[in-house]
Amino acid sequence: MAHLAEELKEKGNAHFRRGEYESAVTLYGAAITKNPRNPLLYTNRANARLKLEAWDEVIDDCLKSIELMRDNMKAFFYLAQAQLAINHPNEALSSALTAYDLCVHSVSQTSSASLISALVVKCKRRKWEARERERLRRQSSLLAELEDRLERGACDELAALEARRAAGEVGEVEAAEERDEVSKTARTKLDDLRSLFAIADPSKMTKREVPDYLIDNITFEIMHDPVVTRNGHSYERATLIEHLKRSPTDPLTRDPLHVSDLRPNVALRQACEEFVESNSAWIYDW
Amino acid sequence: MLVAKRLQKELVKLNEHTPPGITIVSTENFQEWLMDIEVLDGNPLYQGEKYRLKFVFSGSYPIEPPEVTFVKDATHPIPMHPHIYSNGIICLDLLDRQGWSPVHNVESVCMSLQSMLTGNTKNERPPGDDDFVRRNTQRPRDISFLFHDNSV
Repeated sequence: MAHLAEELKEKGNAHFRRGEYESAVTLYGAAITKNPRNPLLYTNRANARLKLEAWDEVIDDCLKSIELMRDNMKAFFYLAQAQLAINHPNEALSSALTAYDLCVHSVSQTSSASLISALVVKCKRRKWEARERERLRRQSSLLAELEDRLERGACDELAALEARRAAGEVGEVEAAEERDEVSKTARTKLDDLRSLFAIADPSKMTKREVPDYLIDNITFEIMHDPVVTRNGHSYERATLIEHLKRSPTDPLTRDPLHVSDLRPNVALRQACEEFVESNSAWIYDW
Repeated sequence: MLVAKRLQKELVKLNEHTPPGITIVSTENFQEWLMDIEVLDGNPLYQGEKYRLKFVFSGSYPIEPPEVTFVKDATHPIPMHPHIYSNGIICLDLLDRQGWSPVHNVESVCMSLQSMLTGNTKNERPPGDDDFVRRNTQRPRDISFLFHDNSV
């Protein structure tokens, strides 16, 4: 049975390479019926379904594949993409981080590192956007309620004034002056309230500058997984690996340097994360 | 993807502060930039002249080096130097695949070339310049220079 499944998988792969994703899905499906215990069949089908944007099915396949094989980088990578597509950024981020972890701890630190690292950033961004939307919604409803109260207060005052005028307690001229006064005070209060809310908006507060020590000297971007070389300089892992593949030398000193010499710079990573957390959308476009 | 973002940031930095003797000429796209450099100390070989540099970036910059040459026009001659051919091709280890490092950038290349000129006293072209210029049809990146002389 297993070799039949293998044959079907090969056929599926051929269809996949030609961009015929529907028939690839069918072939992988047939392979799975022959051998339901092979996790790779599920990841292959997930990849084809990813192309067809059948997100829920991608998720099913990935979960099944992970059930059969836990350290399954591809499955987590596809899973994260599908979760992101159906707008579950929290789950997507945790899947993407698992994939990244599996990738950098695998013996062959493949070029996938930069792909997965880009996906991690994308998930973080979407997670932040979701949080920000929620915050704005909450904040604007508070603002709306306060504005409402201020306006109602002014209306009540004007109504009382009108009653006093009608009863002859105040003269016409005096009433008109007081009316102007009430409206002016109400407008000033509203303006003050709005500018207070504007100041409290963190995206207006922060200085849009990233300190040099958080920046990777190769991409000039803020680091997400910094690694430190033997001379003490840190770089983004995925890009440094890219350089080491071409030339196994330290970018600054030109001394021999290999992937196995790199160590994660945990404290710096935390500093980067903290900086990203405490800043707003601009950091993702920076 | 990487190249556009990185060059954008280099440009922001350069616009904030351009080192003395370096001028941005054109940076409209992320494939080709033009920069002017001057030699600011009193080296009589290069006094009062401006040299124009052309940077061509491949899709793998900064992992791969940019292709950097001097360009000649009515107001910009090719500087006299035993490592610079009269057609503008430069023989400098840092621009070679082996000598390049991704931590270099447009600014650091300009500054290296400035100092390469500053330190030079020989009013001459590389040996075999005529021949090289006549025959060479290769792009700089395809030429393997021999760096036999590191004193200049």
